[in-house]
Amino acid sequence: MKPTYFHKSVMVALPLFSAIAITSVIAADDKIEINPPAADSISKAQGLEAWSRIYEVTSHPRCANCHTGPSDRPMWSGPSYGKTREHGMNIQAGASRIGAETILCSTCHTTKSHDWENANTTNHAAPRVAMSWSLAPVEAHWFGRTTQQICEQLRNPETNGGRDMLEIAEHLNHDLILHWAWSPGANREPAPYSLQEHVNDILMWGVASTPCPED
Amino acid sequence: MMGRLRTLTRRTFLIGSAAVAGGVVFGTYLAKRPVKNPLLTDLQQGEAAITPYVKIDSSGVTLITPRADKGQGAYSLQAQLIAEELDIDPASANLSPGLPGPAYYNGTVMEESVPFPAYNQGAMAETVRRFMHVPAKLLAMQITGGSSTVPDSFVKLRMAGAIARETLKEAAAQQSGIARDQLSTENGFVVLPDGTRLPYTELATPAAGIEPVTDVELRSKSDWKSLGKPMQRIDMPAKCTGTEQYGIDLQIEGMVHAAVRANPGLGAAVESYDATAAESMRGVQKVLPIENGVAVVADNTWRAWRAVDAIDIQWAAGPYPASTDEIFAKIEKVINNEAHRDHRQRDEGDVESALEDGDIFEAQYKVPYLAHAPMEPMNAIVKVTDDQCEIWTGTQIPLFVRDHAAALTGLDKENVFVYVQPIGGSFGHKLEDTHVLQAVEIAMALKGTAVKLVWSREEDMTHDYLRPGAVAIGRGKVADSKVDTFDLSVAQSALLPDWFGRLMKINIPGPDATITTGSWDQPFDIPNYRVTGYRAPTMVPISSWRSVGASGNGFFHDSLLDELIHKAGADPLAERIRLCLDDTSRKVLEKAGEISDWNGPSISENRGRGVAFCLSFGVPTAVVTEVTNTDSGIKIDKVYVVVDVGDVLDPVNLEAQVFGGVIFGMAHAMNCETTFENHAAQQNNYHAFEGMRLYQVPEFEVVALSNAGKIRGIGEPGVPPAAPSLGNAIFAATGRRIRELPFNKQIDFV
Amino acid sequence: MEITVNNTSYTIDAEPEMPLLWVLRDELGITGPKYGCGIAQCGACTVHVNGYAVRSCQLAIGDLGNSQVTTIEGLGTTQSLHSVQQAWIENQVAQCGYCQSGQIMQAASLLSTNPDPTDDQIDAAMSGNLCRCGTYPRIRAAVKAAAKKLQEV
Repeated sequence: MKPTYFHKSVMVALPLFSAIAITSVIAADDKIEINPPAADSISKAQGLEAWSRIYEVTSHPRCANCHTGPSDRPMWSGPSYGKTREHGMNIQAGASRIGAETILCSTCHTTKSHDWENANTTNHAAPRVAMSWSLAPVEAHWFGRTTQQICEQLRNPETNGGRDMLEIAEHLNHDLILHWAWSPGANREPAPYSLQEHVNDILMWGVASTPCPED
Repeated sequence: MMGRLRTLTRRTFLIGSAAVAGGVVFGTYLAKRPVKNPLLTDLQQGEAAITPYVKIDSSGVTLITPRADKGQGAYSLQAQLIAEELDIDPASANLSPGLPGPAYYNGTVMEESVPFPAYNQGAMAETVRRFMHVPAKLLAMQITGGSSTVPDSFVKLRMAGAIARETLKEAAAQQSGIARDQLSTENGFVVLPDGTRLPYTELATPAAGIEPVTDVELRSKSDWKSLGKPMQRIDMPAKCTGTEQYGIDLQIEGMVHAAVRANPGLGAAVESYDATAAESMRGVQKVLPIENGVAVVADNTWRAWRAVDAIDIQWAAGPYPASTDEIFAKIEKVINNEAHRDHRQRDEGDVESALEDGDIFEAQYKVPYLAHAPMEPMNAIVKVTDDQCEIWTGTQIPLFVRDHAAALTGLDKENVFVYVQPIGGSFGHKLEDTHVLQAVEIAMALKGTAVKLVWSREEDMTHDYLRPGAVAIGRGKVADSKVDTFDLSVAQSALLPDWFGRLMKINIPGPDATITTGSWDQPFDIPNYRVTGYRAPTMVPISSWRSVGASGNGFFHDSLLDELIHKAGADPLAERIRLCLDDTSRKVLEKAGEISDWNGPSISENRGRGVAFCLSFGVPTAVVTEVTNTDSGIKIDKVYVVVDVGDVLDPVNLEAQVFGGVIFGMAHAMNCETTFENHAAQQNNYHAFEGMRLYQVPEFEVVALSNAGKIRGIGEPGVPPAAPSLGNAIFAATGRRIRELPFNKQIDFV
Repeated sequence: MEITVNNTSYTIDAEPEMPLLWVLRDELGITGPKYGCGIAQCGACTVHVNGYAVRSCQLAIGDLGNSQVTTIEGLGTTQSLHSVQQAWIENQVAQCGYCQSGQIMQAASLLSTNPDPTDDQIDAAMSGNLCRCGTYPRIRAAVKAAAKKLQEV
């Protein structure tokens, strides 16, 4: 049972914290080219190859740790944590996925608009980007899921935020938490490939009509 | 010799009075001796010198509380002890730690080192304990530690209050012509039979002119007004409004901010460094070498830290094995190696014969090195001029700080002033002064300017003097469903020689009791019972950590006992009670059984409960812990604790110290260790040294009994039985016996 | 740079990347917020930014914008205590007290958005604040007592 204050607090929290984020500046080298391959130029086999690289990204802890399911709990990985574990401090992002019910993600993951290059230089500090930190929507549950499950989620507009492949690529361009995954700083391991390569793979997979391994 | 010793010990309670500008002080009277007196700067020529506990002048009453407050409530309780006899509201008085003075020596702190277990209160044991006050006095050990503040102050401070009260009454008697025994006192006033109220502040000057009344009797427990009843800590409002000023918060006119980076190979030198980048950073005023490190002086703490990070330093290797594995290999090498035997203070029955054959149990246990990691990192403000050195810092060892600073600056001790600040946690951390001496070094290079040095968390956790890691081998045998033979060997580096060598530059000869404190001295009667300490070489520098030797030994002793009891097929609580030879301790165990409903219906599936016991600092402490083995790990549900401290002075603070101590012990047992690689401590911040968070904290039920004959301190005794109680509960819930701390290397916690 | 702390405006001359904590402590002399870890592991530096708890060691001063900062000094004073502070004193929570500014600010932030938190919600909201003395059982009790007080107001 969700108490009734919950919706109200989310409404209050979101505008205030995004107010700081609006001034976001992305460094020039973060700019992504969105050049989809020509229609029908990608075979299903090539599309599946692209998908397997996409899956490497989506299942990588740098990404999957914040794409958790209905537990609403972010995960932690890395040398200082041993095996992958739930985010320390009993952090629960809640149904709001920003922690509005208990403690906002932005309590520690502050919004870093200024001097983005040096946003994450302190080892073990809370990562910060030029937008409000949050879990991905619960529909985009990747953590611990199979390649087929993630693939089906991503190609289904009902579970991918109503996006086609071009829109997914655009989304990748604009979501700064996602940009952070490839330049996490502070000796953290980045997500595989590069953001540009990942966008290219999404576009290839899209042009190949989003094949999934078990189709 | 005996006569002189008796005189020295008796002088502990000599309280006198003296005049000061506009008033009177009451304290330890040392007029016949060469005076080393903290009030010296306040005193006029010709006035008697005294080490004060109470100062009364026209501005009010000041209570001097010489034991440091590092969170245990010492200031408040010291003030309450004086106030109980003085008849004032301590919240209305000024509290001051005073300036350090040898007369504030702590006699009780050395009592723990005597070769008698605490439950032995026979004539010989008590005589030797009294004699332990003598080295403490001669060495001017003004130390806060060893859960000794209450036992050391209990009579001393009430006596100071009572002498002050009676002397004020005598002054009023002489003024009014009414006999002293016709007068009473109430909340800062002497009250005449007709109800006239004479404030202490007005009686202060006349009181200074008369002989102090020293033939006073302390009030009996039944007459206590505040002591023994729930109290409000005096420091609580400040601590809840952000206005308590810790050392780190203090600001001195014109002060600059310093940062240091010392060799993470503890005690090793700097080979070379390049500070070019740091020197040009904003706010940086100076970069200078210090002992084993490099310092930056800047106009802001953060700028100083950033600059020190930008210095490229080449370090010499630390003077000890490079890794934790190598360090523990050295410890394991000495255990049960008679050439390295340090002491065997318990050897009853015939362990050798008992363990010659039959079904012999044997297991090895291990506890890690541990940082203190209090929330407030080490810091100090120091100002050095040609004539004097002033030091503002939170410390448990103010006189050592003074003496070391004097040696470093070349100034006379009388010209070094240590102003003790409230402490944001210590757990033994502030029994060291490396950071103060670093600040003195920097301040010597900036004469006339106050220098505030603050260690970063990373500097703090990688330059700690750690709780020593230790290894134990337990062996034993059971017979007729009873524990029959218990043989425990413990090996670690010697702690007290390390500390005394570093702080007092003296060699402590003979055995180091801390190797087996908390295991050799337990109140059990086992037919064949032996505890032996083996001394590993000095490696990484070590120091006292909340509950000192008992922090590891409590785990070793009770874990082995629990294993043997299970092997015997006996009930863990019933067998401990059967083996217990001390009435006070037995009642503690029985009470723990009662409040935890130990003999009631067994707790449900997937749950388990463990009992553990440790007698430390004279306090028998039993802990019963209930856990659930959930899908995501062990959840600690409920903890019952029973202690016996004799008289309870403040039940509210006692409860806090007890559950705080148990949480401290369990938290580190769950997930904390300090390990070494390349001679450097690896856990440099709380992400790798997490302890317990609120959601992991169980419910607590704490009971304090008062069967013990002696009053005791309670800052530490909760720690030693916490880890074994959790380990025994995990065993009960899962069947897994974990013999190495921290537990999370082998099992998950919720 | 202008910043507003406890309803007072200050002009600051500091690098934009300087953490708010050090601006408060060393530039403005506001020492209620404490330094404990510098990496958002302990919560001792917690302040409110526009009413929400924020670790001031993690917020660069250049990212503060026009936000309102409240420190423990601005929450309440000994003469005029906030309900959370009152509950803290009544429950005799503090031992060394060093973490308590942050604990209190976190609790006040929780109760301002969730006036009647469940035990689980208290455990979730307050577990980022470390206490080395182990005052936790009383923190739990004081948050509940403060919630009750706030509902009675």
